[in-house]
Amino acid sequence: MRREASTTQAPALEASQLERRFGAVRALDGLDLSVPQGTFYGLLGPNGAGKTTAIAILTTQLRPTAGRARVLGRDVVAERAQVRRAVGLVFQEPSLDRDLSGREQLDLHARLYHLPERRARVEEMLALVGIGSHADRPVRALSGGMRRRLEIARGLLHRPRVLFLDEPTLGLDVAARLAIWEHLRDIHARGETTLFLTTHAMAEADALCERVGILDRGRLVVEGEPEALKAALGGDRISLELEKGEGAEDRLRAVAGVVRVEPDPTLPRPPASVRLAVTTADGPRRLPALLEVVRPNGLVAVDLHRPTLEEVFLHHTGHVFEPPGADPRP
Amino acid sequence: MSRLLLDAATLFRRELLRYRRDRAYWVGQIALPLVVVAFLGFGLNDVVRLPTETDYLGHLASGMLALLVTSGAVGGGFTLIQDRESGFLRALVVAPVSAASLVLGKVAARVAVSLVLVALLVAVFASFTALRPIHWGAIGLAVIGLTTCFVALGVALAARLRSFESFRLIAALATIPLYLLSGIFYPVSTLPAPSRMLAWGNPLTYGADLLRHGLLDVHEIEPLRSALVLVALALVALVLAGAALERREPA
Repeated sequence: MRREASTTQAPALEASQLERRFGAVRALDGLDLSVPQGTFYGLLGPNGAGKTTAIAILTTQLRPTAGRARVLGRDVVAERAQVRRAVGLVFQEPSLDRDLSGREQLDLHARLYHLPERRARVEEMLALVGIGSHADRPVRALSGGMRRRLEIARGLLHRPRVLFLDEPTLGLDVAARLAIWEHLRDIHARGETTLFLTTHAMAEADALCERVGILDRGRLVVEGEPEALKAALGGDRISLELEKGEGAEDRLRAVAGVVRVEPDPTLPRPPASVRLAVTTADGPRRLPALLEVVRPNGLVAVDLHRPTLEEVFLHHTGHVFEPPGADPRP
Repeated sequence: MSRLLLDAATLFRRELLRYRRDRAYWVGQIALPLVVVAFLGFGLNDVVRLPTETDYLGHLASGMLALLVTSGAVGGGFTLIQDRESGFLRALVVAPVSAASLVLGKVAARVAVSLVLVALLVAVFASFTALRPIHWGAIGLAVIGLTTCFVALGVALAARLRSFESFRLIAALATIPLYLLSGIFYPVSTLPAPSRMLAWGNPLTYGADLLRHGLLDVHEIEPLRSALVLVALALVALVLAGAALERREPA
């Protein structure tokens, strides 16, 4: 809504040594964060890592017990009203009036935000999230994906400069999730809004976010671009199965970017074939050259494995991302 | 201040949209008083002689209107729990909408619904009882005062409770004695002294008597006094509701 000149250069979000205790539990334990404006940022972590607490503090719903946080240069405690005007929020839990239609719902909130040109804005948001033809059905008659899209439309209604999305695709089926991803990419492409998403689905962050931070037990363990984080694990792994092994290892080591070549012990070995594991940066682009040098060895099969954000999490925290049965939610 | 009223008006619209859609609600609200007056009122009409010189049918009909307004108002407070359950309240708190706007919106919507219900029912009752709109101001004030008072008390209660079940139970526990000690079913002056003392402390007594003044031109309490007490109690209830909400749902 209102844009003050003094805040235009500030990062969208900043947190330093942010801490929140609930009794003896530290939901956030010294969170440091800096998100430039316009970024699509993903805060990743298992359930209970502190993601929702972080959003609650950054959107002024909860006070930190220590440390400080700023949104567009405004302190979330001292300048609560300004922060509230600048942010939009899509809750993890539903927050719609089930008896109203989508259009009525957005109109209601447009009135509560005292928006000028209310009708036009409501129609624009309905179109943005693709609700148009269902806009007059009561929310109780809409699918889970439709409801989420409506919540996103409501979050964007007052033109927030930062939109927080807490697990926006939790509980949705694949098609609905992909539809939400498309809408979020559209919103990001418009360039008006910083998007801050939390998710426990690593693939979601990988597919959407320019930068991700991995949160574990209330602390940020690592942060960066998804590609860079994965590359930092040492690169992609290419498994080659060859008819005969003469000279293959040396020729593979000579290819640019290759870090390591070793016998691949991971697969059951049929007699008379040779298996090699090649570790390299940028696997998909190196693959043609690698295949070229092993042509004389008689290529039987090839497999490319790229590290996932799960492996990044494992690498930096020393424990698996989600132990079986850790998710208490349906 | 203007923002508070604008937000209250917005929430008023929303409540009305919800009420308008709930057809079963309207059928129930109109049918219940008619059934009670028709079945109980006709039966007792020739048995009961009232000190107020009106027939029992008229007395009961006006009393049922007061009861309808009051129970509807408590139900209006109950919608706060629905708003919390559906998550809608969360979105309001973040918007941010003040607790005062929320209470005012709910009160205003409930007043509108009560006025419509009372108008419809008076039209029906006028065909077979002595009820007539005689003092319009007294009728209006009784409906507005009772509604405000009990929506606000309902909200104050709902703000402290988490579940539908506990609200229904506690609301019933709190309101049934109020109904019985209020002059709805029989004039307060017929009660034994201790019960009568309790009835004088009941907001519903003043609302029911004021409504009876408006519809039958009889009263047990000076109408001006009823009006003043009702307005004062409504204001106190509003403050209680606002305070309970601010504490439970920090904006």
